[in-house]
Amino acid sequence: MATLEELQARITRLEDIKQIEKLQRIYGYYLDYDEYQKVVDLFSDNAESVEIADYGVYKGKKGVKKFYLELLGGKPPRVGELSIGMILQGVVDVDSKGKTAKGRWYCMMIEAKPTISIHEGELRQLWGNGIFENEYVKENGKWLFKKVFFFLNFRTPYEDGWLKVPVVGQNGPSMEVPPDAPPTFYHPYPAGVHLKPHYKHPITGK
Amino acid sequence: MNLEELEKQVTLMEDIQEIETLQRRYAYYFDSHQWQNIVDLFSDSTEYVELESVGRFLGKEGVKRLYYDHVGRKGEPTPPWILYLILQIGGVVDVDPDGKTAYGRWQTLLPEVMPYAGILRQQWLHGYYENKYVKEGGRWMFSRLDWNVTFYTTYENGWLIQPLLGSLWNPEAKADAHSINFYPYPSGYHFPYHYKHPITGK
Repeated sequence: MATLEELQARITRLEDIKQIEKLQRIYGYYLDYDEYQKVVDLFSDNAESVEIADYGVYKGKKGVKKFYLELLGGKPPRVGELSIGMILQGVVDVDSKGKTAKGRWYCMMIEAKPTISIHEGELRQLWGNGIFENEYVKENGKWLFKKVFFFLNFRTPYEDGWLKVPVVGQNGPSMEVPPDAPPTFYHPYPAGVHLKPHYKHPITGK
Repeated sequence: MNLEELEKQVTLMEDIQEIETLQRRYAYYFDSHQWQNIVDLFSDSTEYVELESVGRFLGKEGVKRLYYDHVGRKGEPTPPWILYLILQIGGVVDVDPDGKTAYGRWQTLLPEVMPYAGILRQQWLHGYYENKYVKEGGRWMFSRLDWNVTFYTTYENGWLIQPLLGSLWNPEAKADAHSINFYPYPSGYHFPYHYKHPITGK
């Protein structure tokens, strides 16, 4: 039979997973409403980086602020702009010490976004899909983001679909708010490149 | 409550968590075309797998025949333009009181690209899963996977205009039997739940 301490450790692990799941989903809800300061406050002060699709790598908490506040939040949202990111299918693994964790998620997006740049041009209705492989850290009893990495599968006009137009819209690192490093792993459809999971196979251990 | 009762409750929560993770990993492996990794998620005492109209595959041997030989083309590299994103949504997992078997209902909304009569097609699919899991050597594995497709349509036409596109009963898949639950839209078929009503118990 388990001891009280063992049971406590097992419950803590389950609570950690639930808290991380919540953190990731709340992140998605804030992004949907362009609440970028709230997003930034979900990151640890020791955050490593944020890298979304082909925007490049923004390093440290400073980079996190630059990416969300200056690049994405640089101008107020326009009338008609729509951003829905459904955060799905989380696989969260907490390390044995309970201090850091990793999570893989799908994001299915329904958007209405400007055509010319991140803020300019006519609005276009879009379907998007991609995978997060994120890292989390527990500080003072709370889980925070340590690293956000998003791999884009497709971002297509509603009228065309992912086979005809796999990626449309803002491409490449911003000139106005440049990243600290170029994109490290940008291979949307139809590259046939699959983002490796952070976990080993649960049965074979491979 | 004594420690033993508490441990039972903790184990139940761990079991549900592990089964949810198992189901989600299955989908990530599927989307990455890692067919051997999928086969290894199934128990050696697997009952069967049934996928839409492809058929019913019996035992662990059937699991290999379906995922590795048929879908995975015996390990042949997949062309890069083949795309599956079998998003796993809405898990309802119930563990039996003995803690050894469990059942889960899920649904998937699935953007896909597949060749159809030699032409690449972009497709939307939807379907429900009713799966069975077993705990062996302290780990949860699949013992039954049943995927019931609701629609299988082209991106351009949609589910009302064209509920079902191609890929019906392919003899090359070498299934052991025809699918038993294949009644896509607009049949009105309701794929049975593994669970009873949580309030009335009916």
